Amino acid sequence: MPPKVIAVPKTDPGAYNPNRPAGTLLQAQALHMREALIRHVHELTTLLDIDMKSLRTEADVSAYVHRATALLHTRAGKTAKT
Amino acid sequence: MSAGLDNLKHIVVLMMENRSFDHMLGALKQKYPKINGLTGDESNPDTNGATVNVQQKAQFQSQLDPDPDHHFPGVDLQIFGGAPPGPGRVANMQGFVKDYFSQTKDVNRSHNILYYFDSEKDLPVLSTLATEFAVFNGWFSSIPGPTICNRAFAHYGTSFGQVGMDIFYILDTAVLSIYERMIQAGRTAKIYYYDQPSSTMEIVNLLKNQPQIFATLDQFISDCAGNTLPDYSFIEPCYNDHPGPDGGQILASDQHPDHNVREGERFIANVYNAIRTNPTLWQNTVLLVVYDEHGGIYDHVIPPACTPDGNIASADATGTGEPFAFDRLGIRVPAILISPWIPRGTVVPGTEDPANAQIFEHASIPGTVTNFFLNGDAKRTDREQKANSFLGLLTDQMRPDDDCVVFNNLQ
Repeated sequence: MPPKVIAVPKTDPGAYNPNRPAGTLLQAQALHMREALIRHVHELTTLLDIDMKSLRTEADVSAYVHRATALLHTRAGKTAKT
Repeated sequence: MSAGLDNLKHIVVLMMENRSFDHMLGALKQKYPKINGLTGDESNPDTNGATVNVQQKAQFQSQLDPDPDHHFPGVDLQIFGGAPPGPGRVANMQGFVKDYFSQTKDVNRSHNILYYFDSEKDLPVLSTLATEFAVFNGWFSSIPGPTICNRAFAHYGTSFGQVGMDIFYILDTAVLSIYERMIQAGRTAKIYYYDQPSSTMEIVNLLKNQPQIFATLDQFISDCAGNTLPDYSFIEPCYNDHPGPDGGQILASDQHPDHNVREGERFIANVYNAIRTNPTLWQNTVLLVVYDEHGGIYDHVIPPACTPDGNIASADATGTGEPFAFDRLGIRVPAILISPWIPRGTVVPGTEDPANAQIFEHASIPGTVTNFFLNGDAKRTDREQKANSFLGLLTDQMRPDDDCVVFNNLQ
């Protein structure tokens, strides 16, 4: 007999909102990333020039975090998948 | 040792964000009386002096905006109802509505903090896992405070004295993360974050430039399929809405307010299915789904005392005017342990059953992993050493394949 299958409903259309203001957790994540980047300042001039106050939306934070994470991983010679 | 433990090769932890036990699973008490959820009579006073009962009116999104306060002073108000710090005050869980009013400035909207889901109807994944495997009545966040310090307990068994969101440097400490302990002992461990635009909340290891312990969720799915899963895996959900690599939409799946709860359901189902659909992995893996903290949302259970971890947070750091000795836990969160070696409907008793209570918190995670894979051989805090291990729930009897559910994520 096959196992019981539970249907998982779809997420509501319209839930996606990258322009939602970033909350304290995401702001803290970006700040922590900046602290990490300081260790690699010579490679990170452009990222560090970004005004943290300009990171207002989730899209803003995700773009910043994406670049920071990629760069930190590149230093180890093996980049995690984007 | 049980047969379930004898067969165990992999421990996987999925840590979600900011939802309390009662908010997510409290409704299950109506059908499953052993689950320490809600009767419907629980209440808080509002700022007009009215008594407001909990209500089964939680929505997937838009109800908890602004993000409910869950920093140390706010949680102190939630737990103690506004009684000022000092000897003799008694926890009563009566300050949630008052605290949320301070943000919403709207009495009616402040009641939202008491809303809970119709668990079986609204949360088919979480409620199915809770009732099909083991649900903990007494798993608490480690600190009555926010995300970063609570997640630190899951990684290190301590927050090194932090009660907030500040970054913490541990470069000289003898207490290593569970990942470093495992790797130094010749074992394998990884943190799987969703993708680079979401990344990780475990920044300290990034600071220490140890990217070898990190991979993405795609790699987790691949490692499950290819039987290359590490001994220990920690999974992070997607923390923000962002464009996908091909221009699609990737939704936050962490369930942090005000992210859509249903997307988190789908994420949990995906992680479960990745393990469940590999017959070898399913038999030798245990999956813990747990939330980092309550996110400011109501729970009726008073957090118990705990073993101090040796640190003291100053009165300035706590923001309450009183120092904190890490001697009591934060608010209760959903926690579910999943394995075919766990009997259906297992309910782990908490504070409602003092004679049989088994209290857990996030230090139980590195504690359990260290005990199982490293025979307890690691420098760690007293708090972690005394934290309960959750592997005792594995039994000698493995449930047949057709007795364990599979999820079908509708597209």
